Formats: sequence, structure tokens, C-alpha cells
Amino acid sequence: MIAFTFNGEEVPAKEGQSVSAALIAHELRINRHTRINNEPRGIYCGIGICFDCLVTIDGVVNQRGCLTVVRSGMIVESAK
Amino acid sequence: MNFNHQIIIVGGGPAGLNAAKYAANAGADVALIDSGVRLGGQYWRHTGDEALDQSLHHNFDQGSLLIDAVKANPRITLYLESQIWSASVIDDSIVLRTSKDIFITKKLVIATGAYDRSLPFPGWDIPGVMTAGAAQALLKGSGVIAGKKIVIGGTGPFLLPVAAGMSSHGGNIVGVIEAAGKAAWGKGFGALLKNPAKALEGAGYLNTLRKRKVEMRFRQAIVQAHANADGVLEAVTIANIDAGFKIKSSYRLSCDVAAISWGFTPDNSLAGALSVKQRVNCDGAVVIDVDSNQRATHPNPAIEIFAAGESTGIGGSDLALAEGAIAGLAAAHSRHKANQLRKLRSKAQKFADTLFKVYPIADGWKSWITPSTTICRCEEVKYQALTQARETLAAETPRDAKLFTRCGMGLCQGRVCARIVSDLFDGDADERIRSNYRPIIAPITLGELAEEGLL
Repeated sequence: MIAFTFNGEEVPAKEGQSVSAALIAHELRINRHTRINNEPRGIYCGIGICFDCLVTIDGVVNQRGCLTVVRSGMIVESAK
Repeated sequence: MNFNHQIIIVGGGPAGLNAAKYAANAGADVALIDSGVRLGGQYWRHTGDEALDQSLHHNFDQGSLLIDAVKANPRITLYLESQIWSASVIDDSIVLRTSKDIFITKKLVIATGAYDRSLPFPGWDIPGVMTAGAAQALLKGSGVIAGKKIVIGGTGPFLLPVAAGMSSHGGNIVGVIEAAGKAAWGKGFGALLKNPAKALEGAGYLNTLRKRKVEMRFRQAIVQAHANADGVLEAVTIANIDAGFKIKSSYRLSCDVAAISWGFTPDNSLAGALSVKQRVNCDGAVVIDVDSNQRATHPNPAIEIFAAGESTGIGGSDLALAEGAIAGLAAAHSRHKANQLRKLRSKAQKFADTLFKVYPIADGWKSWITPSTTICRCEEVKYQALTQARETLAAETPRDAKLFTRCGMGLCQGRVCARIVSDLFDGDADERIRSNYRPIIAPITLGELAEEGLL
């Protein structure tokens, strides 16, 4: 097992999992809130098409959580 | 870096893998490009954990043998984690750009696959509502069950492997909600029986569901989703529907995941960027128009573009494999007539055509939408904005709707909502095809553009 943080909370993950999958496995369903209506969004298409599961990873904004493989110590935050 | 190859194949699923194998075996120098970490596409998505991968695929041997053959072939160069963001024809060559590299070729095989088709309904943007493909990708790619209480809905044969896969790995499936009637659904199974391998696969899924007491409900659909105080899914409304998909009565079912599949839409962003000729298929999807050699039409005679798999029409892996092989041989200018492959292709095509008839999607889904229902998830455009544009701004076409409301102009560039808006605004074939044109295939940062010297 490895671990990363999501909005400051430590999240365990298995090697090779996507960020979105590790969040779901830890019962974290909300990846971000939308910029206009502040609506919660999570994983939707799961394969990189819809851009709903966007997160900031190690300071790089707008990363697709479903396509990014987790790394130990990764700092993941909800996309703004 | 710049890379030149005799044939470039984009997409590492069944069609692209087989195209690479057949083209390389015919003597060509081949590059296979995929945005993913591993080969296999969505169909053979895997974790690398052999036991898990075997348990989640009906016939993983077929996929892993093909992947191994492609990896071992010295005439094939693999470029993984390579997302193409731009494609153009420059000086009689096809030029593809990723954030790292530039690829140049005269012969391109497009095998970019498909993604789940979505139908909008109130609450389809609540976290917990996802495509069946997403639930499947979580399991096949990461070994994660999407939730604790899962309802699966939509129509078509894809619901079965999704339900059976999650159920046999400990997922609690509280219902499989199929929009087709039981008799029609049975007819689809009759078509399956003509293909012994598919019949066996289907029977296996049904057996799994029966053993685990997963209930299938026919002529029903998930028509509304409800969030709890935290904003995540706590229940769905399921409706008894008529053949036209109009709601007759409804009930509530509590769940934390609703995984929904209304068939698939080809991802033809690359074809659109290159102005490859497309057409509207019998299911309403925009597909690449190909001839009997899988050759697509492009105005420049100096280049050759082929297409195979779901990008030429949704048809499943057997059809994709046959089309990929034929495209690979044709791109390599092989003299092989490939009669056997052509027979396989026509058989698989007939099967695909039957499935479209058995699992039709009727217009009644439009009646599930309310004024506050989100239509464009990226730009948060609600249905009332579209009706307002129609009533007060005289928006008549899908393009008008887009210009007045920004629907389809967000990060996904209409991949999710363009087909929905085309349906809502009765878009004609030209408008459907045009909505598929995206000059930028995938979003890129300004920093990456600057590094390319393009800013």
C-alpha cells in the first residue's frame, strides 16, 4: 500500500490505481465543486472523456483523476 | 522529438492492436500510439494483476496474447501515455502532436474507439451517478468496486458484464434496470445464440447474476437521481416506461452508485480534426465513412487514412478485430485478399446490426428532463437556458444553441453533450457531423503551447 493526500487528508491506495479510483475506494466521492454553481462533481466517464473528475496534483491544475496513476506522497487537491 | 513512420496507428484497443500486428507482419514499419499507460483499450483494460485480469475478462487470453505479440514485434514501435492534441496535414504528410513529440506519416489508421453515450436526466451530475463504462474501468483498471449499493441501468448487452463483474467481486448490485422489454431482450439473446462464443459469454454472465440473486427489471429506466445533505447520491427514481420511453409510473430505490449505459458514441475527435469524411450511422452516432478496405475519404490524394473498430460504427470487439486486420493489411499494401477476415467482418457486422434493433433508444427520454436539468456538464448549462435560447433568441439549430448558451464549449468540447443537444434540437446529419469537429483534440496548457514555439 502507498498513501497520498487529498485536501490534506491521508488516503491509502494500491500501486497502479488511478487517483479517482483510490478516492472512491476511500469513500471520497466529490473530486471538486463547479466554478459557476458550486455543484459537487465526482467521477463520471472514468476514461478521460468528460473532465468532471478534475483535481490539482502537486500544484498542477486540471488533471484528470481517472487517468492519473497514484504515486506515494502525491498532493491532490480539489480543482478550483 | 520528431518521429517518422511508414504507418501510424492511433488507439491500442482490439482494432488498433490487430491493425498493428497485420501491418507489421506484412512488412511495414509501424508506430502504435495510445494515451493510456497500458495497451488493450477499454475492452482489454487491465491492472497487470494476472488473477484479477483473468477473472474480469471473458477471454483475457485473446487480449493478452495479442498485446504480447504486438510488444514483441520488432517492426512495431510503441508510444504509450501519448495523448494527441493536434492533427493536421502539412506538405502532403499527416502531422500529429502530443505534448512531448511530433509524429509524421503518410498513412494513418484511426482506431480511437468509443465512450458511453449519455442521456441526461435530473441529477445525472450528482457524484455517484456515472457511466457503466466508468464503473467497469474502476474495476478492470484499479480493482475498485464503485460503491456499496449499486444500481445498473440503461440498455444493451454491456449491462451484463458490468453487473456480473462487480457482483462476482463482492459488489452489492441492487438491480439491473433494462429499458428494453423482456421479449425484445430475449430476441437479442436469440441473436447471441447464433454466435456460440457470444452465447457462452452471455450465459456465463446470466448465471453469475442468478447465483448472486441480482434482479433484472425490464421496461424500466433510471429517470432521476437524488443527493443527500453531503451532495452525493442516496437514491434514484426508477420508472416503468412504455416502448417510447415515456414514464408510466415510478418508485424510489436507495443506492450510492448508479452506473448507466445507453450504448456508445465513437470518439472521432482525431478524424474530425483531419476533416476525414464522416456520416451518421443507423443509431444516430457520427462515424467515419470507410470502403471495403477500411479506407476513409480525405481530399488530399498524397495521404492514406484508414479507420477500424468503434470509430466506424459501434459493433464490439469481434468486428473491431476483423476491421483492424483488414485496415492493417490495406495500409501495408498487402496483396493478401483476406477473404476469411472479410467473412468474419460481415458476420460480426450482422450481429451488431441486430443489437441496434433489439435495444433501440426511443425519444421519450426527452420527457425525463426538467428546466433545471443540467445538459452541458462542463459549462453548467441547464435545459431552461436552451429553451430560453430557442424561445427568445430564435435558436433553431444545435449550433445556435451552442453559440447562445455555451453548451458544448467546455473542457470536454461537447463529447458528452453534443449528441444530446443534436437530439434536442433535431440536428440534421450535417450538424451532427459538424458538432464532432474539434480543432484541438485534447486540451493543452498554454505552457505546453509555448514550449512548442506556437505562442
